[in-house]
Amino acid sequence: MSKPTAGIFGLTGCAGDQLVILNCEDELLDLVNLLDLRDFLMATSANDTRCSLDVAFVEGAVMSRRDEETLERIRQRSRFLVAIGACAVWGGVAAQESNGNHAALLEDVYGPLGRQYDAIPARALHELVKVDLNITGCPIEKSQILAAIANLLQGDPPLLPQYAVCAECRMRENNCLLIEKGSVCCGPLTAAGCEARCPALRIPCIGCRGPADDVNTASAWAMFEEKGYTRADVDRKLRTFAPKGGRA
Amino acid sequence: MSTTIRIDHLARVEGHGGVTVEMEGGAVRGVQFDVFEGARLLEGLVKGRSYEDISPVLSSICAICSVAHSLTSLKATENAFGVEVSPQTEALRDLLSLGESIESHALHLFFLAIPDYLNYPSAVALAADNLPAVQLGLRLKKLGNTIQETVGGRAVHPVNAVLGGFGRVPGFDQLAELRAALAGAAADCETMLEIVAGLPAASFFRAGIAFGALVSPREYGYYAGEEVTMALDGESETIPAPEYKRFTNERAVPHSHAKHSTYNGRPYMVGSLARLVVNRARLGERGLAAMKRLGLRFPPDNPTDNNKAQAVELVNDVDRALRIVESLLEHGLKDEPPVPVAPRAGAGTGITEAPRGILIHSYVYDEAGRLTAADVITPTAINAASIEDHLRRAAENAAPGEEAALTRAFEMIVRAYDPCISCSVHVVRRGHDG
Repeated sequence: MSKPTAGIFGLTGCAGDQLVILNCEDELLDLVNLLDLRDFLMATSANDTRCSLDVAFVEGAVMSRRDEETLERIRQRSRFLVAIGACAVWGGVAAQESNGNHAALLEDVYGPLGRQYDAIPARALHELVKVDLNITGCPIEKSQILAAIANLLQGDPPLLPQYAVCAECRMRENNCLLIEKGSVCCGPLTAAGCEARCPALRIPCIGCRGPADDVNTASAWAMFEEKGYTRADVDRKLRTFAPKGGRA
Repeated sequence: MSTTIRIDHLARVEGHGGVTVEMEGGAVRGVQFDVFEGARLLEGLVKGRSYEDISPVLSSICAICSVAHSLTSLKATENAFGVEVSPQTEALRDLLSLGESIESHALHLFFLAIPDYLNYPSAVALAADNLPAVQLGLRLKKLGNTIQETVGGRAVHPVNAVLGGFGRVPGFDQLAELRAALAGAAADCETMLEIVAGLPAASFFRAGIAFGALVSPREYGYYAGEEVTMALDGESETIPAPEYKRFTNERAVPHSHAKHSTYNGRPYMVGSLARLVVNRARLGERGLAAMKRLGLRFPPDNPTDNNKAQAVELVNDVDRALRIVESLLEHGLKDEPPVPVAPRAGAGTGITEAPRGILIHSYVYDEAGRLTAADVITPTAINAASIEDHLRRAAENAAPGEEAALTRAFEMIVRAYDPCISCSVHVVRRGHDG
């Protein structure tokens, strides 16, 4: 069987998800042997920018007309498109400006010239094109991207947790930061897959992976209220990394 | 005859950037280091948010410098609120930033820069002919990530470094494992030096260069320090962090939309080579020996020597990280909680050295601890003016008609700076065809 052709791309973001792939030091050389990696600008200057791809991994949010064009070209040449990271899946931290003041913000950061730039409010990939798989995280977890690639190579659908960080946190037997300490911990509503990294370090979850599907929302809100937090307090935290909430 | 050399999309750099050089006859008409990374406006978005939320959000400016962003942000907020952290926190932060530098330098040298010198398009292509070199690079890179994971809780966007200290101080066993990994890396550092010493020379011009770096108060490092030294033509000036605008002096320039930083009207270079200019007396024995071995001379007159400087730092960083870990193990680790932070109205500036140079965060808070103004100045934004200056010099110095060689020279110069374009929130992008 010939190796599947693949591309790894970055739109506007921090390049952290591509870096997580490069951080698979023990698996990287195997990975480049299993995939026919044709287009990966961050790692190589010999790229085929036109060939069709069996799978494309795309990180970052769409924040410019250039990003829009790039994403559309990637979609056209790819059979399977994977959004990697909170920016690609949810819009990410830069999508927080939900009150529509993009022009004012541009001017605030860049001065009067800001209004001339090719800059548009952040959008997740699914808002523009069909996305075949979302792997969330800020950044993605090594274990999940590697497992997803292994599944795809075998022709199996990748399995990603639908439950909340709380489930993993309980498994690690951490003390609950919300119940015991009264901290605003986003664990009850945030997608698992990080093995509750932050609560295990005694740091409340900041919701960097975006919302989970399978959660008891009513009970979570009741718990936040019991601890004296308003819906707005918690919402603000939750919407830092996934301002557009609710899975597409 | 007029020629335009355009590199549309630079490969093997972090983020999206290009180079355009217009030449007419022997004269260079225009030089642009273009940045078309989308504007994420994060400084604007954190306004009004509580002090606790600032570091995690602004750390997401950049992945490869996420420790630097995170620690610089904490430093700025702690300076604003008058928070003093414990010596153990200082040591762990030092160690965390050494981890970031080891990972970043190993990635940059082996995956982004060395393929240039040896004429390969990528490290993967290099691996086909020289697998041990690439495996060595991967091992050193992993070592840096192991430090970041052990101390910072995660390799990209660390979560464990918080205001006042750490969420959870690493345990004795974790540090003992780290000690073994660091001690075992001495031979790899030696081989890495051999590889770098054996690279073909890359010199596209020689000229006096201005430099700027955070002064390491004690040992050579990236985190500690409250003053920046600017060195230029054999003279130097040391400027306290809160007066950073004296050397950033960002201004719009007509030929490029990038805001340029200058000092006394001159562009200057930040990063590994600049740090050696300012702090080389603080290197440990191994670092000093590495510097001698690679034949670095001072003041440097060739920007591509920045790659050699990275190799020197890599040796010194591994050695210093080992000594910090040994000292922590010897003195015993206290499982101390972060020191309490009480917000107050005020301003604070934090400066650290990201792997690619000076990083500045400066904030103003109101009495409730809500952020009212944020200024973030990244090393790549500072370097943009110097990169353009050096591209111009290389173009002027080149033999006429050698476009392919010149294109390669341009790429090598830009890459030698180790630019991090996502980071350059202040380098204002221009349209792709602008």
